[in-house]
Amino acid sequence: MDLAALKTQLKNFVQSMFEEGVLDNQFSQIQALQDSTNPNFVEEVITLFCNDAERIVNEINRNLGYQNVDFSNLDSYVHQLKGSSSSIGANRLKLACANLRQASDERNKEGCLQALQLITCEYCLLRRKFQALLHLERSIVELETNQK
Amino acid sequence: MAPTLPSGDQASDQDNWDNGRLARKRQLLTEIVLRNRLTALVVDGDTTCRVLEQLLLRSYEVQTQGVDNGRDAVALIASGVKFNLIIIDMILPVLNGLEATRQIRDMGVHCKMLGVTACSGESERQAFLAAGVDVFIEKPLDPEHLVPILRELDGQ
Repeated sequence: MDLAALKTQLKNFVQSMFEEGVLDNQFSQIQALQDSTNPNFVEEVITLFCNDAERIVNEINRNLGYQNVDFSNLDSYVHQLKGSSSSIGANRLKLACANLRQASDERNKEGCLQALQLITCEYCLLRRKFQALLHLERSIVELETNQK
Repeated sequence: MAPTLPSGDQASDQDNWDNGRLARKRQLLTEIVLRNRLTALVVDGDTTCRVLEQLLLRSYEVQTQGVDNGRDAVALIASGVKFNLIIIDMILPVLNGLEATRQIRDMGVHCKMLGVTACSGESERQAFLAAGVDVFIEKPLDPEHLVPILRELDGQ
């Protein structure tokens, strides 16, 4: 596939993520911050986010596994995940965090477990799509480098 | 194989891509030119948020430092380092954002403080404002909120 076609594929793929609500305009802001002084910024941020998000989801899972859930501890993890989701433009994941936040506020363990299921699904979907996005970006960079 | 020049169509597609990206960048980042060198401290326990907020500030040529907990923020301010702007999250490790804000204000620091947090409730907003932040912003920090504040700090 040639460079122009790859770039179009990437553009369309990102657009589909916006249309599905997986990403919101905040992701466009992040893309706009990438330039020649930060050529790998998007990949770096996505990697940072995914590493932290997985850690937090695991911690939330662990917390909810206890008979007596420490809801204030849970709150701080949810807060962190909601914040980073908002900041990277992960719209559906951010909304799923709001569900967990509400269940946690109500001290509703069952509600928290259901909300965590949704968070896990949304995160897995987002991670798959981010991996595809980064694969396209790397292919573009490789082609551009070869053409120089 | 010798490199070939792109065809007319290919060149225009690439130009369109690059120009489109540049135009989008200009539109999204709301270009401003600061007359003064501004400094900012970002206090956020989440690495992704801290990196993004610092980079957004740097894109406007604001010199930034970042710390990941309230205690280090208070210690940095107490050491005499001055900032035009402090961006601080509410929930922080070690020392939370509310208490860190109170302690910073108690030191007589009057710089602009933005509470930028994932919390969105009215009670959280009131609590953060009562602690001493000037503005409460629900994450993400974006140019729409940041640029007017930078203009104000720059005396524009």
